[in-house]
Amino acid sequence: MRRKILAAATAALVLLGACSDDSTSDSASTDAPSTDAPSTDAPSTTEAAAGPLQVPADYPTIQAAVDAAVPGDLILVAPGTYPEAVQVETDQLTIRGLDRNTVILDGEFEMDNGIRILGAKGVTVENMTAMNYTKNGFFWTGVDGYHGAYLNTYRTGDYGVYVYDSVNGQLDHLYTAGSVDAGVYIGGCYPCNAVLTDTVSEHNGLGYSGTNSGGNLLIINSVFRNNRAGVVPNSGTYELCYPERETTIVGNLIYSNNQADSPSIDWALIAMGNGIVSAGGVGNDIERNLIYDHDRGGIVLAPYLEEDPNDKQPTPEQWTQTCDEQRQLRPEDPGEAMLWNSYNNRVAENVLEDNREADLIVASADLDESTLGNCFVGNTFTASAPRLIEALAPCEGTGTGSWLDGEYDIFSWLTTEHPPGVDWKTAPLPELTAQENMPDAATAPAHPAVDVPKQVDLASIAVPSKPA
Amino acid sequence: MLVAALVALVATGCSDDGAPAKGALTLHPSTDATSLGQPDEPIAGPQGRVPQFVVECGYSHAATDDPIVAPGEFGASHLHMFFGNTNVDANTTIESLADGDTTCDQRLDKAAYWVPALLRGPQVLTPVKSTAYYRPGLEVDPTTVQPFPAGLVMIAGNAGAAGEQPVSVVAWSCGAGITRAVLPPECHEGRNLRLIVTFPDCWDGEHLDSDNHHTHIAYSSQGACPQGYPVPIPQMQFSVEYPVWGPALDLELSSGGLTTGHADFMNGWDQERLTREVELCLHREVVCGVASGRVSG
Repeated sequence: MRRKILAAATAALVLLGACSDDSTSDSASTDAPSTDAPSTDAPSTTEAAAGPLQVPADYPTIQAAVDAAVPGDLILVAPGTYPEAVQVETDQLTIRGLDRNTVILDGEFEMDNGIRILGAKGVTVENMTAMNYTKNGFFWTGVDGYHGAYLNTYRTGDYGVYVYDSVNGQLDHLYTAGSVDAGVYIGGCYPCNAVLTDTVSEHNGLGYSGTNSGGNLLIINSVFRNNRAGVVPNSGTYELCYPERETTIVGNLIYSNNQADSPSIDWALIAMGNGIVSAGGVGNDIERNLIYDHDRGGIVLAPYLEEDPNDKQPTPEQWTQTCDEQRQLRPEDPGEAMLWNSYNNRVAENVLEDNREADLIVASADLDESTLGNCFVGNTFTASAPRLIEALAPCEGTGTGSWLDGEYDIFSWLTTEHPPGVDWKTAPLPELTAQENMPDAATAPAHPAVDVPKQVDLASIAVPSKPA
Repeated sequence: MLVAALVALVATGCSDDGAPAKGALTLHPSTDATSLGQPDEPIAGPQGRVPQFVVECGYSHAATDDPIVAPGEFGASHLHMFFGNTNVDANTTIESLADGDTTCDQRLDKAAYWVPALLRGPQVLTPVKSTAYYRPGLEVDPTTVQPFPAGLVMIAGNAGAAGEQPVSVVAWSCGAGITRAVLPPECHEGRNLRLIVTFPDCWDGEHLDSDNHHTHIAYSSQGACPQGYPVPIPQMQFSVEYPVWGPALDLELSSGGLTTGHADFMNGWDQERLTREVELCLHREVVCGVASGRVSG
């Protein structure tokens, strides 16, 4: 199975979606707020206000309240539509909607991010909806401490909830639909120390994406359905902190990720029809998920082809490097496309059915799969590629059998015609129905994200059951 | 390097008066780009490795105007492709930029950005978009970088270059562009050809423009600005993306041959916003946005 990559094939086929340093910008319409003490005519003083800052009663816009707030403040937003792109640069704010379903930030297909938290620590955003943004619904970057809860995102040009270069966080009770890239993204962190839980992500390009993230990063108790592809962590040098490593994916319900009428990036087109894909991931732990109804694979340990890399791959000795350590190193241009293989992943006790090419897949395009150190144990499944995967790659002891028996043709992902992405502005989506509100939105005190992520008892998580 | 630069500058002189430009004839100063120094090497690498903020601006319009080199002279320039501010012609001034709209995703960036048109025979190739990367110069302490002063104008690259320009100033690439070439490489389908022009990142602290539009700014080297240019400013890399795949050596720039790449900039940013971006994204090194950068369907 040692194959030579045909440069022409890789060149012509664009396996990766990856690329570039193209990038976002800032909020389209927000002016820069100040992180300094609020102006003297604002109701709050230099200490956290006695009561919450009310929008629109006291401040006409969320941005105005954010600008007036000081660390520790609670901003309460009343039901209404807010055509804003809010920028937050103040630590430890709690920004809360009084009703998750009727407090709506609307980007009107022009503004970029619903709420962007830029380097402000410990900001909690909860109980509201963001829709129609050209980039992201909710976006934390460069922060220590973040909490997003009871949030809806709907029709977003990039991601629903986007967390980059941020650590110590929690995302829970999210509903995301209609993102071009992923419904939820946590990337560029190691160790991330973060939890995504109790979330539903559907009709996105990817249900979950995490590029170059990991290290106490838990993706648990969530539903990923009807996306192009379900849960797809990957490695690549187009962003910092490679490789993706040590993500724990447990207790999720992942089904029917074959959605041809969703918006999509190129990579999701190629990964379409799969439940979980570790694309060049290292040391992920994939356990006790229920995964069914996929055109391709249930759980796939796949290579990621980076066509235009910015740096060479770290050696295994460098897999424990933090992002900060890696940032000090000078990139070396490999000068050609390169493949990230998936190493040392553990796939255990998942329940898989009706994944039509195979329930469990290990594939490489250039290396002998038996050398990659991935292991499988205790899964309930019908077919694997190669066959008899649990005998070939047990988590304890030495494997037996032939890796050539039923080996998977990963190149088929490149050579198959993929249904093209659909314009995110008009893609058919399920109606945004009422989602569960946070408890006591009107009365709960401010709770900045200083104590997240909450402890999780991973051992107590069981394989979910099928929805009725 | 500075001495050599000054010598070269004197030797080559400038010519920004002039007749309508056709082909290689140009209104741009004919100083060689190297005469003003050049970055030690292009800044490239993974997003997040160096502090940056990024603005994407759609193609706005084309005109044979150049408000920096030939102000007031309509039709006096080679064909330019304009990005950002939508209101740019030969009469444009810093003040008039405020009246324009912008094609940029950052609405508070009303700067004017332009490059010579890319031609294939008689056909003018319409760019897909442009991307302006604002970063500290290589090894420059990010916390020392100051926002561009209001009213700053800059030209990078040399429209009259007789030979190759350094790829750290003017380069072609496919896709993200860590590999840069003097001439357009053959890009395969799905990876657009890019022209990347890197602007100087040191300012003399005094002049918003200069007679040849170059000598008020210079490039840093080894993390330091040269003598006479005490103010580090963002090193803006301006990248224009074209829907060009396959052989590209038959292309031409409206300024002449394929080595005459250059770009112009008039600072029309909301100054307060620009200052905040510099403080947040460069000084505090928050990664202010990475794009998926992936092609979306």
